[in-house]
Amino acid sequence: MKLTIAHLYPELLNLYGDGGNLIAMKNRLNWRNIECEIVKIPLGHPFNAKHYDIVFIGGGQDFEQEVILKDLKGDKTKQIIDAINNDVTFLGICGGYQLLGNYYKTKDGQTYDFIGALDLYTIGQEKRMIGDFMFSSPYINNKLIVGFENHSGKTYLGDTVKPLGIVKKGYGNNGEDKTEGARFKNVFCSYSHGSLLPKNPLLCDYILQTTLQKKYNITLSDLDDTLENKAHDFIVNRF
Amino acid sequence: MKKLYITFYKKTILCYNSSMYFRKSLSLIIAKTLIKFLRTIGRGGTSLPGKLALKIYPNILKELSSDISSIVVTGTNGKTTTSKIISTILEQSNMSFISNKSGANLISGIATVFIESHKKNYKYALLEIDEAAFKTVSKHIDVRYLLVTNLFRDQLDRFGEITHTLANIVEGISNCPLATICINADCSLLSSIGKQVNNKIIFYGINQPFPSTDYSLSDAPYCFFCKTKYDYSYRTFGHLGGFSCPNCGYKRITPDIAVTTLKVMNEKYSKVDLIVDNNKISIKINLPGEYNIYNGISAFSIGYALNIDYKILISSLATFKSGFGRMENMSLNGVDTNIILVKNPAGLNSVINYLSSLSKPFVLTLILNDQFADGTDVSWIWDVLFENLISNINMISHIYISGIRKYDMALRLKYANLPEEKITICKTTKQLINIISDPLLVSNTSYILPTYTAMFDLRKSLKKQFKLKEFWK
Ligand SMILES: [Zn+2]
Repeated sequence: MKLTIAHLYPELLNLYGDGGNLIAMKNRLNWRNIECEIVKIPLGHPFNAKHYDIVFIGGGQDFEQEVILKDLKGDKTKQIIDAINNDVTFLGICGGYQLLGNYYKTKDGQTYDFIGALDLYTIGQEKRMIGDFMFSSPYINNKLIVGFENHSGKTYLGDTVKPLGIVKKGYGNNGEDKTEGARFKNVFCSYSHGSLLPKNPLLCDYILQTTLQKKYNITLSDLDDTLENKAHDFIVNRF
Repeated sequence: MKKLYITFYKKTILCYNSSMYFRKSLSLIIAKTLIKFLRTIGRGGTSLPGKLALKIYPNILKELSSDISSIVVTGTNGKTTTSKIISTILEQSNMSFISNKSGANLISGIATVFIESHKKNYKYALLEIDEAAFKTVSKHIDVRYLLVTNLFRDQLDRFGEITHTLANIVEGISNCPLATICINADCSLLSSIGKQVNNKIIFYGINQPFPSTDYSLSDAPYCFFCKTKYDYSYRTFGHLGGFSCPNCGYKRITPDIAVTTLKVMNEKYSKVDLIVDNNKISIKINLPGEYNIYNGISAFSIGYALNIDYKILISSLATFKSGFGRMENMSLNGVDTNIILVKNPAGLNSVINYLSSLSKPFVLTLILNDQFADGTDVSWIWDVLFENLISNINMISHIYISGIRKYDMALRLKYANLPEEKITICKTTKQLINIISDPLLVSNTSYILPTYTAMFDLRKSLKKQFKLKEFWK
């Protein structure tokens, strides 16, 4: 058994330890004797979504957004939208999450058209939303997910997109409506960067299970998550 | 009559006479008294006095520093080591100078330094300044020499993006048109400063790749000016190396001070050949690790800017002792102990490269805190290639983990697939010190890698237990 993960723009969208999510998925598959290959798709390289079980898009700096938008235009955008409609698993973090939406309007009023795969949009603001945060997610029995958010964009979800969870502490999507992240078909998005999946093994396994079920119809075995839970609970107990 | 409120240890004092002269005298008296008081009760007293003085009399720093030429070191990594080398150069040249030795590198710490040396007639100030604070501090002091060591991603929750940090530095330079600037020619971000300001610039760099070059990591893969991907003829570390833009032609320029040959790199020092003004010079840098070659030649470039004799530069680089926490060496009950401050992926990766090259067994300690000075976001540890330790795992006799975010660090090592039986989590600093200072448990050498506040905690405990000298002296 094997899952292949595409890492889009690894040289640009790799902020705040986002790679930890790939490290978590790969290890949690390997520890169950499931192979995992991570394929880097840098800028300018062709992307055939059919070859991948999971597509990962991380966060980047504003400086790099324009370079990426130019590269995404045309075929890549079509590949991504088709793949999402064919239930391929996506994980979008921070900037990668925003890119999957309709557009980004900067605080100066400039609008950038994004991929438009998910019905959501983002508005830039002066104040950054930074800090440890916590939300509960219906996809893991309303248990808590912890993370660290650092974004100036406020994201608003359209009707067809569900939030990944409900904010308990911190800002989440916009600091207003208590939603955090997004779920649409097999697309998972969050503002929690870095060690989202390492510290939230339930969410990591849910994403892997969703993908494996579709491909092999198997159920993941349990792992010893004592240490993962200690790191998780440390943040929960902070609040 | 103007009113002036001063809040001092939660008590508000109201002063009626607040003429400028009175304010200046008052700020000096209070700050100087506070420095003495804090030292007496055993606290460093490196920031608070300056902070208070600036509050009472905002012009204090500008006035006290106006007759002193400041030599400023800023950048992401290597500030303290480089400052230490420069201070050795100044000492060996018999130049009188003041400096902020203990790393109080924000405006309040800088003000404290000038307040302490008030009326003592120093000619130079050697100042390590935080890269985000530089644009503010440079408005107050007379910067004549500026060294920007490098730019890597560091605590983005505090500084924002790396290009913002660069813009802040360029803005700071606009406050000091008389400054000679020393810049790393191998860094595409910093090299762009040459195109953005009119100051005199001295470039230093390394003309060949480091043996352990890892091509996967770059904080700046795209052209600063036109966003086209750079071509590289070689890379030394991270995004540093022989970059050139195939679109707009922006490229590394030939440095004024260039390392042409890496001759020796061992566990104690490095030896390299330099070309300066058509002279070939051999130098020894008295610290191990590839990244310290950059620190060495960057300090050399400041000495060159100051017109100091090559002989003094060569002897300073060969003999300096590293500063507070930057590969600080000490003996704890006979255990050879090295403390190396770690604060971002680039810095910690270079330490891991170094540890992977060691051929004698050692004990490794990682202490991860997440207070403001450390960066409150610990996600950066997932950008660190702990996996690379596996290649030398036989030399690592044990790994101890401590600090506020010990579980995050332990989790990172678990996911790097380092052997579980070699890893122990210590709940307190005391417990940690008892273990790592026990010669029965640590037979050889010990490397401790703390983040900023963890280093202070550790240093405080070690000071108590082993009577080490005060860090601000
Ligand atoms: Zn260019």
